[in-house]
Amino acid sequence: MKSVQEKSRLFPGHLEKDIERNDFPVAKGEDVIGRLAVTRLQKGDTLPDIARHFSLGTTAISAANPEVDVWVPEAGERIMLPLSFILPDTPRKGIVVNLATMRLFQYKGDGKSLAVSTYPVGVGTAERPTPIGQTRVARKATRPTWYVPASIAADHRKKGDILPAKVPPGPENPLGEYALYLSKSGYLIHGTNKPASVGLKATNGCMRLYPESVKLLYKDTPVNTPVAIVNQPYLIGQRDGVLYMEAHTPLEDSGAVELEKIYAKLRDIEKKSTQTLDWKKVKKVQTEARGIPVPIFEMRQGSEKEAAKPIKVAHPGTLYGRPEIPDLKLDAWYVLAADVRDEIDALRIAAIINHQGPQIPARVLSKSHSYRVIAGPFNDINEAKDAAKRLKIDLDIDGILIEPVKKG
Amino acid sequence: MKKSLLLISMMFFLAITLIGCATSGDLEKMQAQQNLIDAKADQALQDAQAAKAAADAAKLQADDATARAEEAEKAALERERIADEKAQRADSAFQRSMMK
Repeated sequence: MKSVQEKSRLFPGHLEKDIERNDFPVAKGEDVIGRLAVTRLQKGDTLPDIARHFSLGTTAISAANPEVDVWVPEAGERIMLPLSFILPDTPRKGIVVNLATMRLFQYKGDGKSLAVSTYPVGVGTAERPTPIGQTRVARKATRPTWYVPASIAADHRKKGDILPAKVPPGPENPLGEYALYLSKSGYLIHGTNKPASVGLKATNGCMRLYPESVKLLYKDTPVNTPVAIVNQPYLIGQRDGVLYMEAHTPLEDSGAVELEKIYAKLRDIEKKSTQTLDWKKVKKVQTEARGIPVPIFEMRQGSEKEAAKPIKVAHPGTLYGRPEIPDLKLDAWYVLAADVRDEIDALRIAAIINHQGPQIPARVLSKSHSYRVIAGPFNDINEAKDAAKRLKIDLDIDGILIEPVKKG
Repeated sequence: MKKSLLLISMMFFLAITLIGCATSGDLEKMQAQQNLIDAKADQALQDAQAAKAAADAAKLQADDATARAEEAEKAALERERIADEKAQRADSAFQRSMMK
């Protein structure tokens, strides 16, 4: 990591092959880790695919790139990868989850050398929020069984989806392959069968990680590890004598209180300094809420020059975890999911279907005056019917079954 | 005395005759000039009217183009709004689909 940073400082036009996403050293007295990066999109990329490859959440990448279409961005577009983070204002031990930034921090090491691993998380919705407070890892399990809570079963029943009492390990299990059960009963940190939901407020209070992230977290986390769950949409911290501010869209109703806290801290810093703070810049960072650490104050003379420029990272070619679409087969069943006149609409619908969990493969076939979104191939009519049912329940899409052209 | 009176009278007559001849030539010349100027004025007026007509036509065209540009802009904004709404609806549906 260090060599990548140093090289980029020496050669600002240099294109890096890769960038550190998860593991960072924490220098004493410093609060900012990682580096911002930029990359260029290729045809067919979606922001959730880029987010997963670089261990970012969907909300984080779209907040950093507000002008970019999440599902149908243009090939060649320059994308900011917000891989620099201000550590939450908490004791640096155990696991810390910041709900507002939808990011988990796992501290490692002792007083002499501290390191942190960080992963994006999916958190609870406004209706079923993740509870804030101090808890701990009570137990761990691989290939956990999901015992369906009554409230979730009732939600599904309303949509015409009858869930079983328990879901065994496998592709249908929303807990994924690894689970950390917290001492706060009913709440878990776990994997997912819906990777595109990481970095969204889409859970019933649990915290979801990408399958590849939860595997690492599981391995590195002993039982009884303390877990602090905080809500800090506005963060300030320093690195190399520069004070940075990072702002995220606050969770419901918490914005004003959190903002006042950060303004009080900034006033205090200004009072202790001989310089005045650029309050217009502070306001801009806060209102834009792009989730990126922005230098706002030079704590040491001449140090602002050291504020790092984003690293240019080459497109990896193959994005890790990107849903793959099998080839068309004449003897397979399909579901016509949409027939629309606008190509972008069709591509968006196909991308969203492709990012369901478990994946429903979908592609766009162009006709003379329209674009058809076809889900499939499916091995038999039952698979096709299941997919059509999921499209209806989850996306309110009325799919039409398409028979095989020739029987297999 | 008689001779000198006669001479004065002749000179006076000659002077008057000469003055009379110069006045009628000037008038003709002036008339011709006026005619030319009138023609010029007519031409200028016609040119001005033509220019005004052209300007009016150009303004009409410009107004029409502006109106069409405004319409096009409105239509583009409307398309953008509809596209944004579609994208937002799609995102909301996606977020709902990501629940357990």
